[in-house]
Amino acid sequence: MNDLTLILAVAVVTYMSRVAFLLKPRPVTGGPLGRFLSVFPLALFVAIATTELAAPRGTPAITPGLAAALGGVVGGIVFRRSLVGVLAVGAFAFYGVRAVVGG
Amino acid sequence: MFDNPSLRKGFRDSILILVAVAAFGVAYGVLAIDAGLSPWLTLFSSLIIVSGAAQFAMVGLLAAGPAPVLVAATGLGLRHLPMSVTLARLIGPQPLRTRLRLAFILVDETFGLTVRAASAGVEDLVAYKTAADLMLYSGFVVGTGIGAWFGTAIDPGAAGVGVLFGLLFLGLAAPMIRRRRDWIVAAAAVVATLIATLTLPPAWQVTAAAMAASLVGAVSGE
Repeated sequence: MNDLTLILAVAVVTYMSRVAFLLKPRPVTGGPLGRFLSVFPLALFVAIATTELAAPRGTPAITPGLAAALGGVVGGIVFRRSLVGVLAVGAFAFYGVRAVVGG
Repeated sequence: MFDNPSLRKGFRDSILILVAVAAFGVAYGVLAIDAGLSPWLTLFSSLIIVSGAAQFAMVGLLAAGPAPVLVAATGLGLRHLPMSVTLARLIGPQPLRTRLRLAFILVDETFGLTVRAASAGVEDLVAYKTAADLMLYSGFVVGTGIGAWFGTAIDPGAAGVGVLFGLLFLGLAAPMIRRRRDWIVAAAAVVATLIATLTLPPAWQVTAAAMAASLVGAVSGE
């Protein structure tokens, strides 16, 4: 399989997974599946954040990313869960700690 | 078309994402060239796959052959299934053409913004997501081109782009944590992710952790 074919195959796999439930949407109202879907975005976002901040190279490690996480949580509390508050305080903590300890 | 306030809000809200995703695109362009892809194929991959995670996995596993690449792409794609169910529920009945278009750029960042916009009461979520998708797509493709052709002069990793992405998703999650069940799900997601990073291949970690935490949420009741 050459590189072009591989790229096309990855594109097909990715698009099929994205379009699967948009082709013929069915309403999901309640029950365990409804509860699963209602919390899935939250679980996904926290999982991505944890990976990037606590395990940036694939395994858990003590890096300035942890300071960013702590700063982000503090920013979320102080600025009432505002996205900009989380980003600003988290980034300030990250770059501040990185400037002091490196990494 | 630009009179639509939801569309304008979508453009405004995704300015931060445009910058971060462009840097991510640069990093992908640099790595893809290092892995042996030509600049044109590198750009083409961003034009038609539009998945940073799948593309990073692809170039990381290029030397191992097509099977590991496709397994990784499948693992990464699994998280799109509940995302597409959620998006379908948010946008309601729409023409097939609209649904096919929205699915093309069903990525974590614009999905997160759309979920946040829905809870904030944005009226036209299709227009909102279209604007966010356009911003993300243009940033990612332009960034990839810059990385592919001028990558040797750039070190995007030094800017801490991954950390900014992590903070972005922390910020998207924050308003969703309201009830006791939400706290349980968030805590479960942290624990499941840390366990997954120690036990699973990178392509499966986020998907598996998010699904495990959602299962905890599903059985923990209202």
